[in-house]
Amino acid sequence: MDISGKSYKAFIARQEALKKQYSQKQAEKQHSKGKLTALERIRLLFDTDTFEEIDAFVTPANQPVEFGKVERSFGDGVIVGHGKVNGRLVFAYAQDFTIMGGSLGVVHAKKIAKIQEMALKMGSPIIGMMDSGGARIQEGVASLSGYATIFQNIIHSSGIIPQISVIMGPAAGGAVYSPALTDFVFMTSHTSYMFVTGPNVVKEVLNEDVTFDQLGGAEIHARKSGVANMIYDDEENTILALKKFLSYLPSNNVENPPTVADDNSTIDVNEKLRDVVPDDPNKAYDVKDIINLIVDKNSFFETSELFAANLVTGFARLKGKTIGVVANQPKVLAGVLDIDSSTKGARFIRFCDAFNIPILTLEDVPGFLPGVDQEHSGIIRHGAKMLFAYSEATVPKITIILRKAYGGAFIVMNSKNLGGDFSFAWPTAEIAVMGPDGAVAILYRKELAESKNPAELKKELVKKYRDKIANPFIADESGYIDEVIDPAVTRKKIISAFNALSNKWVKVPARKHGNMPL
Amino acid sequence: MKIKKILIANRGEIAIRIMKTARLMKIRTVAVRTAVEPNAMYLSYADEIFDNSEDISEIPVFLDIDKIIAIALNKGVDAIHPGYGFLAENAYFADKCIDNKIVFIGPSPDAIYKMGNKTIARKIAIANKIPLAIGSDGNISNEDEAAEIASKIGYPVIIKAASGGGGRGMRIVRKAEEMERLFNIASKEAEKAFNDPSVFIEKYIENPKHIEFQILGDTRGNVIHLGERECSIQRKHQKLLEEAPSCALDSRLREEMGMMAVRIAKAVNYYSAGTVEFLLDSDRNFYFMEMNTRIQVEHTVTEAVTGIDLIEQQIRIANGESIKFNQGDIKLNGWAIECRINAENVQAGFAPDPGKIEYLNLPSDPNIRIDTGVQTGSSIVASYDSMIAKLIVRGKDRREAIKNCKMALDKVWIKGTKTTLPFFRMLVRNQKFQDGTFTTAFLEKDLDKYYFNSEYEEMLAAWLATKLFVEENLEESSINVDFKNGKELSPWLLNKRINQF
Amino acid sequence: MNDKLQIKKLYALSSENRKFSFSLPLKNKIRIGKRDYLVQLKADEKYGTYILWKNRKYPVEIVRSRQNKYEILFNDISYTFTVETPFSLQRMKVLNSKKGKPEQENVKAPMPGKIIDILVREGSNVLRGEPMIILEAMKMQNEIQSPVNGKVLKVLVKVNTCVMKDDILAEIKVE
Repeated sequence: MDISGKSYKAFIARQEALKKQYSQKQAEKQHSKGKLTALERIRLLFDTDTFEEIDAFVTPANQPVEFGKVERSFGDGVIVGHGKVNGRLVFAYAQDFTIMGGSLGVVHAKKIAKIQEMALKMGSPIIGMMDSGGARIQEGVASLSGYATIFQNIIHSSGIIPQISVIMGPAAGGAVYSPALTDFVFMTSHTSYMFVTGPNVVKEVLNEDVTFDQLGGAEIHARKSGVANMIYDDEENTILALKKFLSYLPSNNVENPPTVADDNSTIDVNEKLRDVVPDDPNKAYDVKDIINLIVDKNSFFETSELFAANLVTGFARLKGKTIGVVANQPKVLAGVLDIDSSTKGARFIRFCDAFNIPILTLEDVPGFLPGVDQEHSGIIRHGAKMLFAYSEATVPKITIILRKAYGGAFIVMNSKNLGGDFSFAWPTAEIAVMGPDGAVAILYRKELAESKNPAELKKELVKKYRDKIANPFIADESGYIDEVIDPAVTRKKIISAFNALSNKWVKVPARKHGNMPL
Repeated sequence: MKIKKILIANRGEIAIRIMKTARLMKIRTVAVRTAVEPNAMYLSYADEIFDNSEDISEIPVFLDIDKIIAIALNKGVDAIHPGYGFLAENAYFADKCIDNKIVFIGPSPDAIYKMGNKTIARKIAIANKIPLAIGSDGNISNEDEAAEIASKIGYPVIIKAASGGGGRGMRIVRKAEEMERLFNIASKEAEKAFNDPSVFIEKYIENPKHIEFQILGDTRGNVIHLGERECSIQRKHQKLLEEAPSCALDSRLREEMGMMAVRIAKAVNYYSAGTVEFLLDSDRNFYFMEMNTRIQVEHTVTEAVTGIDLIEQQIRIANGESIKFNQGDIKLNGWAIECRINAENVQAGFAPDPGKIEYLNLPSDPNIRIDTGVQTGSSIVASYDSMIAKLIVRGKDRREAIKNCKMALDKVWIKGTKTTLPFFRMLVRNQKFQDGTFTTAFLEKDLDKYYFNSEYEEMLAAWLATKLFVEENLEESSINVDFKNGKELSPWLLNKRINQF
Repeated sequence: MNDKLQIKKLYALSSENRKFSFSLPLKNKIRIGKRDYLVQLKADEKYGTYILWKNRKYPVEIVRSRQNKYEILFNDISYTFTVETPFSLQRMKVLNSKKGKPEQENVKAPMPGKIIDILVREGSNVLRGEPMIILEAMKMQNEIQSPVNGKVLKVLVKVNTCVMKDDILAEIKVE
């Protein structure tokens, strides 16, 4: 082609026009708010020079009726394409707030749908970076139907390819269902928010004064609603963390998760594990200390850290291979299970199951949270979620009982009879129908009432109960757990057990889907 | 020597301390192994071990009089050394030893009892014309009596437990309105800590120095003092650093106070080692506080400046020997400072930080003495105490001692728990400490920063944080993932997975 | 690695807002005045992990880390840093200038129980997640953590106080 030719000149002019659209001046609009531009976010996510943009030059749809101004810009406010993230093919879209407020118009939605379909066809993960004012009012109902298509695509791909949303700006009204439907939500604090109905309407209808942050900021979603799984103080760290997170996940539901080169820096036998659980059964400890001693050094990536902190969930690695971890946290709410933690656990377990990620459960649970509040809010059906999720999961499942394992909660936390593959217990384990205090109060009610020194007698009986009934050796001898192990060799045991289970496959009953309590 | 075998009814560094001297004196020692620390370092210094690790009762064996006596009889020991804490100041225990024909290495049960009860001790001091803070004549039974006495004495006053110390059962009352509330709190606390709610009241001396005198007495009635110790560096009535001698005393004041210390010891026919505590106010008036009828943690600094082995003296005295030197023979040479290095988090208000010592490297130097009960791999157990080691440093004068202390502190290497080392590193550089003008209020009032870090330390830590960030996020090798590995499934598995949908 | 967002400098921000800047690529050298001094992270069997600087070994431990937040125990003192890029630092400035009156956060009891330990006092600086109060409930000791970074304005309970669910335990001025 003749470089000085007319068609080439036109081509160059167009490229220049696109560059101008993404000028420094445009970028300032975002930078002055402490936000990155869509293009910068894409460049930060993808490996250098691997991103290929698609439909960069599309222009907004023609409006059926003229109402309000529509900028003639390239791309219609969203950048979509594919590239490599740490060497693996990933699809992504990033909404551009500087162009018509990142609002979703027909063409904008079509671009996203296109990339979603491609991701599903290629069996690759898809990342949605959201920064949008919502549906484009000027385009009317057509923009709403754009959302519907996007939601449907997410649902069709759910459980087939990992789908992650990153909220880096507003996401309001219908737009919030996108993140709600995807597998994980990353969110940047202070400069992003999600809500179905905004503060203005809340003020109008309910006369309640509330700021954007208070109604749907990152803290709120990370801590109270549980909608956001991971939050970070700035956008760069949000994306860097996302890249780390992706390295734990397979590209689709047929593959196994990727492995990382293991530098063998984590010792297989570690005596420190014997010191973590205190001798006093009423004293709390941090279960994350145990997790960090078992998994590969620095490999524990916690999800939903601030929500339902009484249950810890996250991904980790054992000899470079990804596992999912679910653990009761004794130092928060005594490690009980409640509505929020059951929901959190169930969702996490189902994700692991969908994507062939083996699950390690660390158990120290005294029971479910008592109270009228929990009962009336349906702890019965919410608790059942986790039960359902564990039993339904066909990935390798291993449970280690660290301390308490009482009653219903014991069954729920992946007991052997519920389909757990291996169940180990530490010598500090107490496995029983109920805790010693409750049991003694019931079985020896008469004796305690008649005793001259009930406190002394109770103490004696509690000790007897702990020694004779609740001790793990009984469960071991009856086959309800597989082995009581020395805490120091936990890592070694788990690795060997997961290796034995690496080709596990269980036939799933032929049905459309189960009817999980929701 | 009549005493040929001693049972050490204690653990940790003091058990080792006692066993070291006993070995030099060719006396056999017996130690007790407990369930809490079955592999403790002190056990390796004993000639014989009584294994009590099957016993999991809540009361530590070192507090169980019957068990200790039984062990002593079982092992056929001639004497028991109680160390400090535990049963060291339990008159009933001392009595029981005597009943069972076991020598108690310490004073008579009577002396323990009298000095152990603060109101009796006060009465004895008054009777012997020893200066002390004005206070109630005996125990106070209720808040009305307390208020009456307090108004006579004049506020501020301090409520103290009759049966114990260490800050428990102790409350300073500055206004009459607070008396009722604080009286009740102090009394309840005393009951919980010492099983005795009795309290008494004294005039509260503001910002005093805490000066104590080491006493040695024998069964022949000889009593001498071995000079003073400066123990004003305290936090919530727990000593952190001690010195011998004190820069607040000149030879005249030393003589005067020493004389009083000896007098009160003689008043109860004291023998063995003991410590008489005084408060010294800003006008150089001194007041008797109490007497501790045991060997103390900080006995080491007195040993460093007098050259006398106090444990040896205790054993000899218990053996019936008389003290071989007189007051005139006691000379204080040079200066000694002791830092109590504990497993505590200085940045979190000295909260205990129990854990396992992963790396321990202690300096050795002619000027340095280290008394410790732990080694690499030892656990600091919350149920005992948080002491890791006592660092005792000598110098020819105070200035040199501080200088040597500074160097020694930099050579101590402990990893596995947080320690009070940064506190001492700050202290030895503190102007008021160096001037010697500090009082017992020093920690709470005169310090705004509790730890020392050199100007580069924070920067180096920052460099490390940055290096970690770069390694984990910005380098090519940050996330070294092998995606191919996940794709290499066994055909069996791949086949099943694909066909299941 | 990122051509448009080439990060040339990083800043380590301490919990007391002291800033330490380092140019990238990060070298094993730190410049003081006119000289460059070597700094190395090493580990061995006798000493564990340590930093070697000016011929002296300093014990070091990485206590905790989360994305760009690091808690480092250096020579027995604990430091918390967040590592910032020039852009995230700029972002902090922008966000801080927009903030109105500093907010107050109330720390509430998550369930009824008894206060058995108070780890902070009026004026203490706290970080989000830092334990403030130990509450005994259901026979277990529960750590009540600070929900935000800030300074403790008031502690409204004492050791041995019994509290009900949602009782306010402390007030924090949000930073």
